[in-house]
Amino acid sequence: MALRDIKPTRSELINLKKRIALSERGYKILKMKRDGLILEFFKVLEQAKDTRGDLNERYESAQAMMAVANTVEGAIGVKAAAFSVQQEPDIKVASKNIMGVVVPEIESSKVRKGLNERGYGILGTTSVIDETALSFEELVEAIIRSAEIETTMKKLLDEIESTKRRVNALEFKVIPELTEARDFIKMRLDEMEREELFRLKKIKARNV
Amino acid sequence: MEIAVIGNQEFILGFRLAGIRKTYPVESDETLVAHINRVLEDPAVGILVLQSGDLKKIPRRLQMTLEESVKPTVITIGAEEGGLSMRERIKRSVGVDLWK
Repeated sequence: MALRDIKPTRSELINLKKRIALSERGYKILKMKRDGLILEFFKVLEQAKDTRGDLNERYESAQAMMAVANTVEGAIGVKAAAFSVQQEPDIKVASKNIMGVVVPEIESSKVRKGLNERGYGILGTTSVIDETALSFEELVEAIIRSAEIETTMKKLLDEIESTKRRVNALEFKVIPELTEARDFIKMRLDEMEREELFRLKKIKARNV
Repeated sequence: MEIAVIGNQEFILGFRLAGIRKTYPVESDETLVAHINRVLEDPAVGILVLQSGDLKKIPRRLQMTLEESVKPTVITIGAEEGGLSMRERIKRSVGVDLWK
């Protein structure tokens, strides 16, 4: 709002005062929301770091097991076993609410399978295949955990960013402009009052 | 919901062993992009697993889409780069580099 657009009237002043009070209240609430979100974010951050580390570790061990399996069984043997696995891991996504941010809660089932549930023949393959499958199943579990946490983090970060932007807009743009306008109107009104007083005095002096 | 895996033959083989059906082998950069687009359009996929090395091969625009994507959630595994995009985002949103 540019200063020249403002009408220096008393009703405008009252409106402005109301708007300032509202903006300040909103600003305080948004600031609290931002702080709360950042606190939540710190909690998730710790978990995210842990799961990331866990994920990388499991990936490395799974790769190592795969190399062993390839050596022992041959590439064809591993492939044959892999293509005969039937049961698919199942994931369910529910949602929960963190300070107004809807985040997913991923639940997994049937990731880990028993020896006889995998689908390939037990006699035809060595135990190396079983161990490789197990390590990859663990890897998938780690992936599911970290997917949940990383999605939560992404959503929290988005919310933090937009809240921060709103807080800053109020603090550095909206409230200063409104107070400036209020001061301008006050100044103009005072000026007009003084003019009026002076005019009255002049008229009185002439009449005497 | 399902998990999808895109990567080279060796990479996806292990995931097949864990029972994941939606595995897409990558032969060239073009097939990589085609597969990623296909998975992004698939409503049944909840988690997409990629190799972090492959992430560098795709166009910048698609990379951004993957980084921002929530459904499906994209998880890259492999070398340390995994947390890099997250690190950038934290820096941008919070203003401090907290990912160490």
